[in-house]
Amino acid sequence: MKLTRRHLLTAAGAATVAGLAGCGDDAENGKEGLDDKRAGAMDGFKAGDQFKATEPLTFSILMLSNQAYPYKADWPFFTELAKRTNVTLEGTAVPGSDYNQKRSVMVSAGDAPFIIPKTYHPQEEAFIAGGAILPVSDYVDLMPNYTEKVARWNLQPNLDGFKAEDGKYYLLPGLHENAWQDYSLGVRADVMEKLKLPAPQTWDDVADMLREMKKAHPDLYPLSDRWSTPPQPGANNLLNLLGAAYGTHAGWGWTPTHWNAATSRFEYSGAQPEYRAMLEYLHKLVSEGLVDPESFTQTDDIARQKFANGKSFVIGVNAQTLVNELRKDVAKVPGAKVSKLILPTGPAGTVLPGVSRLESGLMISSKARESKNFVAMMQFIDWLWYSDAGLMFSKWGIEGQTYTGKVDDGSFQLDPGIKWAGLNPDAPKDLQVDYGFSNGVFAYGGSTAMLNSQFTDEEKAFQAEMNKRQVSPVPPPAPLSVEEREQVTLWDSALQDHVFQNTLKFALGQRPLSEWDAYVKELEAKNSQQYLDIVNKAYERYKKEHG
Amino acid sequence: MVTATRGYRAFQAANAAVLTGVVLVTLFPFVNIVARSFSGEQEIRSGQVVLWPKGFNLTTYQKVMSDPVFWANYRNTVVYTVVATVIALVLTTCYAYVLSKRELRGRTVLVGIAVFTMFFNGGLIPNYVLVSSLGLRNTLWAIVLPNAISVFNLLVMKAFFESLPPELEEAAAVDGSGTYGTLLRIVLPLSKAVLATMLLFYAVSFWNSWFAGFLYMDRQGLFPVTVYLRNLIAGATGGTDNTATSEAALQIAANIQAVTIVLIMLPIMLVYPFIQRFFVSGVMLGAVKG
Repeated sequence: MKLTRRHLLTAAGAATVAGLAGCGDDAENGKEGLDDKRAGAMDGFKAGDQFKATEPLTFSILMLSNQAYPYKADWPFFTELAKRTNVTLEGTAVPGSDYNQKRSVMVSAGDAPFIIPKTYHPQEEAFIAGGAILPVSDYVDLMPNYTEKVARWNLQPNLDGFKAEDGKYYLLPGLHENAWQDYSLGVRADVMEKLKLPAPQTWDDVADMLREMKKAHPDLYPLSDRWSTPPQPGANNLLNLLGAAYGTHAGWGWTPTHWNAATSRFEYSGAQPEYRAMLEYLHKLVSEGLVDPESFTQTDDIARQKFANGKSFVIGVNAQTLVNELRKDVAKVPGAKVSKLILPTGPAGTVLPGVSRLESGLMISSKARESKNFVAMMQFIDWLWYSDAGLMFSKWGIEGQTYTGKVDDGSFQLDPGIKWAGLNPDAPKDLQVDYGFSNGVFAYGGSTAMLNSQFTDEEKAFQAEMNKRQVSPVPPPAPLSVEEREQVTLWDSALQDHVFQNTLKFALGQRPLSEWDAYVKELEAKNSQQYLDIVNKAYERYKKEHG
Repeated sequence: MVTATRGYRAFQAANAAVLTGVVLVTLFPFVNIVARSFSGEQEIRSGQVVLWPKGFNLTTYQKVMSDPVFWANYRNTVVYTVVATVIALVLTTCYAYVLSKRELRGRTVLVGIAVFTMFFNGGLIPNYVLVSSLGLRNTLWAIVLPNAISVFNLLVMKAFFESLPPELEEAAAVDGSGTYGTLLRIVLPLSKAVLATMLLFYAVSFWNSWFAGFLYMDRQGLFPVTVYLRNLIAGATGGTDNTATSEAALQIAANIQAVTIVLIMLPIMLVYPFIQRFFVSGVMLGAVKG
């Protein structure tokens, strides 16, 4: 065999991987041998306790510096944290713009800080084979607040979805008590009032509402949507909402496989009958001139301009864009009012996708396991990221200084001298910039009462309605091996391109839906069945080994 | 004076037209950015700003210029650029001068070593490990040393030195000048054009570079201003934590990128006119007689 450069590189790469994997074995001692790692840890630390290290400790942390509130080592957050917990955090500042790249380099070089926050599943999977990050699921018994919340909020099935082939997970995610539905459609409430239209409950009602609007204004498209940034097909919020309503996955919510609980198999989302039903609905809206065909390609600015100038009445929205963008945009139209529709329901019933209950989270460097303060560090992480007191502290700060009252009884009040998001807009100080609280590195997740403390009344009403809905079960774990993942990735991009292209064609009527069966055949020609076989095999294997 | 032929005049006209087109295309983004930086939020959002500021507004300039982090990072960029350019210039000149001597033994190997790095390098993570274990992280040297010699610049300079008439150096040697004396008193004064070019190449590349600073610096106060700008652009377009609500905040969100770009490119653009006078050809005309 002739040795080419490619062969040499492959061999070198394989050797590196083998070498790194070799290093990983040392760290997999599991729970044993923690006795000499308890320096500074509290004895009998349990859920609800205030954590305070028995000696001053310092832990290193990868610190994302957000441009909106650049990292400052002297924030009151850090000084108060040291006072309460005896722990000083030593931050490596990384600009938010390129956080992932620096994290990759530092972890791969074996140089990462102990605590590596702001990691979105499945980003951690890239680091598992190298052995540089800790299988945190082995150590959750050191974290009483975490385990208590996982049990009380019934999050173990969600966590199972994070597991790797070895049955362990490597990321400590942020935990939400409830599924949080932020996105919906924004409508011109004044137009609805004038036409005497009731608030739509279902997507069919939405179609009727759009028809009435079209009748009164035949010269325009009532719905012109935004959020069409690739790689998804366009109108990604609308498709995401519709996908969830029809029991499939589309737009932002696209995942290639859908768990069918009835057959206990994974199906290919883009070939589901539900996907077809969703496209039929969407195509109907487009063909009747109710949805602007440009919804799938235009920039956000153009969509906003159409809405602002009264050339459309319905557009995708979330809590922030409602207040910060849409209301400001329509300010110059006399009498214009915008409100967020209660999320319409579809054939799938009154459900919310359950996967949103886990947030981004932390990875722990394997080196931390060797530190004599390892147990204290896990207790510290447990307190700061998972205890009620810690969550409250990182989000709202110090009682009596930055806020008063409690979130549970609704008496919570931010100090009038401090601004945050829409609250106290003219206050001299900023909760994030000047104090370091509500920092995305520390403050996310938590109970519904806690999340509600930051919402306006209007948004609270929306959330109350959403919380009545049933959270759909998450798919069971089907972790792939490294080789399987590589194989699947190869098929995935070709399949995904085909689904996205045809989603657009079907929706816009460039391809008639009578060709659906031919389209499913095309997907099969691109290995959709082989893809499913691998995933279903992984599901069976995992069930047998860890089930 | 010889009158130009008609063909030549036509060529000149076409030339001027094409070059004017190129200038306009090149200039347009600059002018547009400057105009945006001085314009109001409404005008920018509705796409009215093209060549001239509309709804004149300085809020963002005030905001950026009152940010101590911006100035700290700006100072870093100036320091990094000056030190790195000086060191790069000295090292590149020395290396190129040596390589330009045909009688040097092992010259091919030395050229090969340099050219090798044009095509192969250790890669991101090995470089990071190397710089870390040399203890260079969080120091100026992490930015200066790995980029001290650009092989492209080295080869340009070598070619320039090779084109110098060897008689000049022979004459200097006859007059008793040593190697360093010849380099400093004869060769370099005759090489102002290439030195100015190299100065510009290096200064611009160090001024614009952000990756080394981003990779090897772990503290906000050590970043070059390009990292500041990059984060700003990502923050403004990512928008997940964008909690802007007041009028001023909206104004700032609308043109903070333009303002920062103007502030960052200004100094390096001002360098051009001062260096331009060295770009003269024919300094050596008539230096060697007979």
